[in-house]
Amino acid sequence: MKLLAKYNLVNLVTTIIVMLITGIIYYQAISLILTKQLDKDLAVEENEIFEYVGLNHQLPQVFESNDQQITFTEAKPGSITRQFINTVYRNKKEGEEHPKKRRHRHEDEYESGRGLISSITVGGAYYKIQIVESKVETEDLIQIIFAITAGVILLLLITLFVTNRLLLNRLWQPFYNLLKELRLFSLADSKDIPLISTTIDEFKELNQAIVSMSARVKSDYKDLKTFTENASHELLTPIAVINSKLDTLIQTDNFNPQQSKLLNDLYSAVSRLTRLNQSLLLLVKIENRLLEGSQLINLRESIQEMVTQFEEIFQDKELKITCELNDKELQASPYLVDILLNNLLSNAIRHNYKGGEINIKLTGEQLLIQNTGENSVLQQDQIFTRFHKSSSSEGSGLGLTISRQICENLNFTLNYTFERRYHTFIVKFNN
Amino acid sequence: MKILIIEDEKGLRESIEEYFMEAGNICETASNYAEAISKVNLYRYDCILLDITLPGGSGIEILKNLKENNYTDGVLIISAKNSLDDRLEGLDLGADDYLVKPFHLSELRARVSAIIRRKTFNGNNLLLFNEITIDLLAKTVKAHNQLIKLTRKEYALLLYFIANKGKVVSKNAIAEHLWGDGIDMANNFDFIYSHIKNLRKKMVEAGSNDYIQAAYGMGYKFTDE
Repeated sequence: MKLLAKYNLVNLVTTIIVMLITGIIYYQAISLILTKQLDKDLAVEENEIFEYVGLNHQLPQVFESNDQQITFTEAKPGSITRQFINTVYRNKKEGEEHPKKRRHRHEDEYESGRGLISSITVGGAYYKIQIVESKVETEDLIQIIFAITAGVILLLLITLFVTNRLLLNRLWQPFYNLLKELRLFSLADSKDIPLISTTIDEFKELNQAIVSMSARVKSDYKDLKTFTENASHELLTPIAVINSKLDTLIQTDNFNPQQSKLLNDLYSAVSRLTRLNQSLLLLVKIENRLLEGSQLINLRESIQEMVTQFEEIFQDKELKITCELNDKELQASPYLVDILLNNLLSNAIRHNYKGGEINIKLTGEQLLIQNTGENSVLQQDQIFTRFHKSSSSEGSGLGLTISRQICENLNFTLNYTFERRYHTFIVKFNN
Repeated sequence: MKILIIEDEKGLRESIEEYFMEAGNICETASNYAEAISKVNLYRYDCILLDITLPGGSGIEILKNLKENNYTDGVLIISAKNSLDDRLEGLDLGADDYLVKPFHLSELRARVSAIIRRKTFNGNNLLLFNEITIDLLAKTVKAHNQLIKLTRKEYALLLYFIANKGKVVSKNAIAEHLWGDGIDMANNFDFIYSHIKNLRKKMVEAGSNDYIQAAYGMGYKFTDE
């Protein structure tokens, strides 16, 4: 659920509840005031009766007007206490004279009313006075008030909804901008997250926090890479010493077969160490884009050259090479392209069996290198990670990582598929 | 030949010195910038092996010093820095070659020989070894004036052997010299054997002596002893 939707929902529900409560209080207050007004009217009427009786010493003639009914009934002296009551007002007439109020009056003509019960003594006789006034007008008023309240609620809801939509969308714009920047954030590239322009403190803080965090992460990452580079560099010298000492050692005469084998093993281990170290350094350099510089390369020629270069190795493994090469020119760093081709071809040879096949297809759109090998699919998401390799592999485990990084730098895509016993690596040029 | 080894790492310096030390060769060493700069300004060498990172200064400065004084010593940079820029900077400043650590001593020797050959060229493009004559420009090999047809790799292999004559050259070194970085794709270097065998056969058929000896399954030795 979007923040905006959630906020709107909460906002709307609370608004409705508050408006309803306000409405009820409003209703009660109005109704109380109006009842008091009615009570005053009733008291005035009572007073008029008292005055009339005081003057004429007889009960006034009972008539009905203004939705007012007065009745006199004889009662036991002293039994009546003066009080206001809520009662029913019975309209004896048809409502023709009051067409406006017809809708309030049903067949039975009963309306809610307000009454005053009082007493008077006229010529020794004790009378109960009951003055009842209809509350219809009061209720009308209340209904109008209610309608207005409801209208205001509705209007408020609509305004809230619309303003929230427009205003909040605009208010949150810096946030969405930041989010976009975060999505685009990459450790490797040099682009920093920019400071966005906003007057809202929260977003300013968020922005600053993100900027400082990304800077910290980047510097940590850089430190790590520098460490890798330095560590690999520092390793080079001792490896060089071991290598040269081995070269010197074999100049001394007379080794028995066991010693020869030990020396051979040492040589291959040192050479593996060298390659691993060089691959690590290379990877750091490619990631840092330190190996740029581009020139026009004819990929077909590069591939042909490389195939010739490895002819003896193909023969040694009795591999059958099929090349289907079209002309393809690239603007790229020849060094990187060379490493990429070398890595892919090396893999095709290394993971092949004696008498296997390698197919190389080059078109304007893609380079495809297929090889036979172990008859099972490799995990596409794992083979490109660092140091992932089959246990039998003599490689550094960095070849495909380097290849993919090179492809990324050159804006190519490198993918793997396994089809009908062929392991296939496809480089798409994304022209 | 007279060689100056400028390298601060003692183990490496000594190995190189030992490998180059033989009759007719003079090897001098320098382990820091000051020592190197004074030797460079006092004596002339056929080839200077120059490490870039030195205590007290940079090998690049030594190279600049050489060029400013118009000294024509051959310079081979040996550096742990394998970046294109460093390589280009070194070569731009007049270095003759650039070798990245770690390297095989036989490779170093071959490169140094190539530099010295170029330096002492003087219109003479022939490399002689007993009855074998190699025309370095035409890239042809003759034994007793009889042309031996060699493939590109066999030719490179022969030159490599002659540069390292009398030394045991490991199979690894040979493989890396001929196939470069891509050599790690081969599980073993047995296929080198067939190459050596072919070269040997062609040489012997042309009437040359068989100079190539196998050395305890580790490598080969090209020697006339």
